[in-house]
Amino acid sequence: MWTDIRSLRLSVILVRILFVLIPVLVFCVPVMVHWYDVEYQDGVGLLTGSVYWPLSICLYLAAVCGEVCLYHLGRLLGNLSKEIVFTAKNVQHLRVISWCCLLAAIPFAGFGFWRFLSFIVALAAAFFGIILRVLKNVFDKAVALQEESDYTI
Amino acid sequence: MPIIVNLDVMMAKRKISSGELAKIIDITPANLSVLKTGKAKAVRFTTLEKLCEALDCQPGDILEWRPEEK
Repeated sequence: MWTDIRSLRLSVILVRILFVLIPVLVFCVPVMVHWYDVEYQDGVGLLTGSVYWPLSICLYLAAVCGEVCLYHLGRLLGNLSKEIVFTAKNVQHLRVISWCCLLAAIPFAGFGFWRFLSFIVALAAAFFGIILRVLKNVFDKAVALQEESDYTI
Repeated sequence: MPIIVNLDVMMAKRKISSGELAKIIDITPANLSVLKTGKAKAVRFTTLEKLCEALDCQPGDILEWRPEEK
């Protein structure tokens, strides 16, 4: 049977796998970017020429945002598994995750000048960041309600 | 907060301990402590009714409003 606990455990496992996978991929960035630069030279963008450095910088910055994001996501999931839901700490984790998504959109938007397709990734990251910001605000209200309920005797 | 809870004063007048009062009005000692220390955000009418009954007093004897100092 698929339960909430199993779903939570699966999320924790996926987050941990990705947390380890990102540093491994970061080491492979020079190889992957070189391959992309050689294979896809006919990409559409405002700027032409080699994308080796722009794409490398973009991926390194996105990796930093991704790692910070996954760390806080792991902490958030850890709290949820301990039944600690509406707390100021969780609001803080959501705030950081939201900012990471918005910050990750910046390098992809920058790389969009070399490859227009990257603007879609930037837009998706920014959109996700905004959704998380709304979720963070909902959590913030829920924390206030929970506190009021806890201190009603 | 401008609302002052004088529960400890009334408890001293009636010579009743926190544990006893918590048992009579059926709330946890921790919640009674929250009420006594003025940390409570709200008091239910049912709790207030039980407190008044247990301490044989009026709500005004337990709760007091003092203007906030500027």
